[in-house]
Parts: sequence; structure tokens; C-alpha cells
Amino acid sequence: MANDQDKKSDDDMPDFSDVQSGASSTAPAAEVYETYVVKPGDSLSKIAKHAYGDANAWKRIFDANTDILKDPNKIFPGQKLKVPQKN
Amino acid sequence: MRRIAATLLPLLLTGSLACKKAEPPPPPPVTEPPTTAPAPVSVSAVTLGNAIGADKKVAAALESFGVKDTIYASVETAGTGHAKLRALWSFVKGEKTAKVDETTIEYDSTGPATNEFHISKPSGWPKGDYKVEIFLGEGGGVAATKTFKVS
Repeated sequence: MANDQDKKSDDDMPDFSDVQSGASSTAPAAEVYETYVVKPGDSLSKIAKHAYGDANAWKRIFDANTDILKDPNKIFPGQKLKVPQKN
Repeated sequence: MRRIAATLLPLLLTGSLACKKAEPPPPPPVTEPPTTAPAPVSVSAVTLGNAIGADKKVAAALESFGVKDTIYASVETAGTGHAKLRALWSFVKGEKTAKVDETTIEYDSTGPATNEFHISKPSGWPKGDYKVEIFLGEGGGVAATKTFKVS
């Protein structure tokens, strides 16, 4: 998952909004995530729905970002959130 | 009596010197083991392919892919310490680039590791030129770049 605004940044460029991605490592306990830049109108539920197809999975995103988020209902445009890889 | 003493004294002195226990050799000087700082994490190789094995390495290196391929970048690292690897996939059209995807792996490296990043597009990849840049570290620069085509 990447930000739609990034993937459609240019009118004469192809649309990459349906790209699926992932990563893994031979290193134990590797953490894999994508970086999502919060847009106006976003909520953790909305981001979770887009990333995982399940709005109720918002807590996974909140838990991965407790260093910058104190309240799951307060996210701000421009914030960069870690979105853990879909398992 | 004096003659006897005069004869025996040198003999006794010589004997006592001869029987004196030799001093043990001094211990060798203590040398500190060489202190080499552990090498920080570095990217040693990036290989592209359309399939990987259980070892995260691509089966066959490719530079050109089909529109329905899953594209893998196998990134080998060496060194120890905290590793943060970010793969930025881009479509390149002339001077312009469009972001395709960006994924990050973080781990505590204890030695050589192999990491894989992959992208797929169910509707098919637009034909053209692409690149993947591998960034290392927090806000680090590009550690490696690979270009490839979809045709």
C-alpha cells in the first residue's frame, strides 16, 4: 500500500494505486512496514480499511505508532505513520 | 684448623651458589586483544528477479520483466547493529518519476542477512522503465539502485 496521492502524482503517469507489496528478511524479528502520510479526512480506521481491508484493524496501526500517537482519534495531515505489513 | 676452613669456605660458597634455585622467567607482557569496532550494517548486493527461494535470494537475476510478473529485489547486508532498509520503487518516464511503492524493513543485525522486497500489480505493469532505490539508515542516502524494464 502506498499513498494514493503519491501514486497519482502526475496526470501523464500510470496509476499505481493497486500495487501490492511486501518484504521479509532472514534476520529474526524483522519489522516490515510501509510509511503512510496522513491526508485530510483520514482516520486510523480508514487507513486500516485501505491497508488490510478491515477497518477494525486500526489498533495494529495505532500500536505501531505509539511513539507519535497518544490518542487514536487524533491524527493530523502530514503525519507519517508506520503501517505494519499485512500478514 | 685454619687450613681446613680456608679450603672448605670457597667450596661451600661455590656450592651454595650452584644450588641456588633459578629465578622464574618474568611473565610475558600482557597484550590487549586488538579492539576492532564492529562494522556497521552495509548493503553488499542487490539482485532483481521474478522468484525467490526460502533463502530470500532470487532464483535467476533479471533486468526485464513481464507485465504480470511479481518483481523481487533481494538485498544482502553485512555488518552488525540496527538496520533500517527502505525500498523505493519508481516508474521512470524521461525526466519524470512516479512513486510505485515504498516499504521498510527494520531489524537488529548480528551478521549477514538477506532481505527481499517485492511488488506486484494485478492489473498488469505499465510497460516502461523502472528503478528501485535501497536506502540505508534513518534518513540515510541511497545505498544501491537497480533499474529494470517491463516489456
